[in-house]
Amino acid sequence: MVPLTLFLKVQLRPTGIIALRALPQSKMRTALRYVPPTTLIGAIAYPLLHISGNRGETTYEKKNFKSKAESVMSLFKWVTIKTEGRPKLYGSLLKINTIYRGKVQSAVTSFPFAVFYGDSTNSLTAAYFVDEDVLSESTYSTKDLERASWGITRLGSRESIVSVEDVKKGKVQLREANNVKTAYAFPFKGVNVQGKGTLQMVVDWRSGIGDYSNAKRMVMFYPEGTVEVQGRLSIAELDGEVVVLAP
Amino acid sequence: MFLSVGVRFEANVEALNMVETAGNYGKHRRVPYLVEEEGKLKTVYVPAMSGESLAHAYQEHLVREALSAGLPVCDDCQRGEFYKSMNKVHLKKKVDPIPDNPKSIEEAIVKACVVEDVGGFLYAEKPPVRRSSAFQVSYALPVKSVALFATSEPQLHARHAQMDASSKKGNASEQMIYYVETGTALYGFTFNLDLDAVGVSAITSKPILDEDEIKKRREASLKALFRMLSSSQFGAKLSRFFPVGGITELVVAATDYPFVVTSPIYDDYIVKTKKRLEVLRSFGEESFLAVAGEEKVPEEALKEAIDYLHEKGAF
Ligand SMILES: [Zn+2]
Repeated sequence: MVPLTLFLKVQLRPTGIIALRALPQSKMRTALRYVPPTTLIGAIAYPLLHISGNRGETTYEKKNFKSKAESVMSLFKWVTIKTEGRPKLYGSLLKINTIYRGKVQSAVTSFPFAVFYGDSTNSLTAAYFVDEDVLSESTYSTKDLERASWGITRLGSRESIVSVEDVKKGKVQLREANNVKTAYAFPFKGVNVQGKGTLQMVVDWRSGIGDYSNAKRMVMFYPEGTVEVQGRLSIAELDGEVVVLAP
Repeated sequence: MFLSVGVRFEANVEALNMVETAGNYGKHRRVPYLVEEEGKLKTVYVPAMSGESLAHAYQEHLVREALSAGLPVCDDCQRGEFYKSMNKVHLKKKVDPIPDNPKSIEEAIVKACVVEDVGGFLYAEKPPVRRSSAFQVSYALPVKSVALFATSEPQLHARHAQMDASSKKGNASEQMIYYVETGTALYGFTFNLDLDAVGVSAITSKPILDEDEIKKRREASLKALFRMLSSSQFGAKLSRFFPVGGITELVVAATDYPFVVTSPIYDDYIVKTKKRLEVLRSFGEESFLAVAGEEKVPEEALKEAIDYLHEKGAF
């Protein structure tokens, strides 16, 4: 029998603006246009840890510090997102003049962010594929995961608030395919794509979250609308939609 | 306990969030909006207020509420300079010598300052210590359905200098003209407050303060929000550009675990928020919702939420 995998399909409505730091622990002011998988893990980790009464954000092991989100990371086999509409990248230029105890300082900085605004009212759909073996050995239940999905509050920075408008839960079969149509972001490796979209280099979350200096990167393709993908694909069908998973 | 508030407010001729000056022109913060016109998408630039600007205002109110409740606020934060123990220089004012482990650093900061307890901090030294803000604020953006009516319009102002014939000021100009770009819109924003984060370590997950102190701090953080909204004291240039208008609608939800009200920039936000709260009931979770609009004023709705949280033992 083919094992079935639990999935959660979470519809998110932005409050207009999503500010995603390309390098989370750096002062470099570069922003991502699309939501990377690490942010999706962080987004669900927050309510999940809240439910378990764990306020931990950072764990310190000797000289290593990591995001607490890593403790829930293994609950997921794969995460991805569907972005409706084409977010616009915008940055306002700020000129800062400060007079501080006699010293006058001047600086120019910018705060770029992606603006999610347009006619689609449900512009983001996150898909979480749960590793049920890991879940059964964890302190969390399926219900906790489902409640956590409803409790996602933001993607990235504290300004990037989202509300969860709908959560669909179900079982899905993972299978192989050679040619599919998808609107969800997928790893751009060994595939042929027909259609429009954006390539974005992101951190491969499976190598760890929190310390990104040595983290593995991967290139993701974020479709604009639906695209056709060819290759040796591992896919899942949920709710009539196809998601291409990492090989 | 988690509080989420969606606010709609009308602001006419406001200069609440100014960015970049070009010569004598002070520009309002603006963001691009995509709107559909005859089947085609086009971009319009609308006035906006950043979440940082609103967060700054909230923390200023928090300073006042904390001090009046006899709670500690550090010197930097008391002056409205929210450096948040960002480096050794600022941290030394709270704890000297600086401990070498993250746990003690966090403990020292949280104990010394309510603003950094509630608003988070990032001590960017070795080892770095980070505490996420217990509150989150979205940008304030024009309500979607009427965004096209939002305007940003420069207002001409002049400053005059009195001069007489004997003045040796040479060619100093007798007047200076300048422009202040003002915005007019019906804005919406979302504010979340995670009460369970107050006074609790982001490293060990254990309380840093005793329960009584935590409750007092929670109460102060709620009162600060109440006061910010009720007094319309947020944003810049209020002394001369106090906007005409006020809160038109507000929803406030209180839940056991995180839950965010639908953003008030969407017209269906009240209906959607109600429906989504019903879903939480299927998880056996109690929740609270109050809506201010035609029958209820914002203060009443907020007061009800605070009473509910009080009953539930949050403070
Ligand atoms: Zn402080």
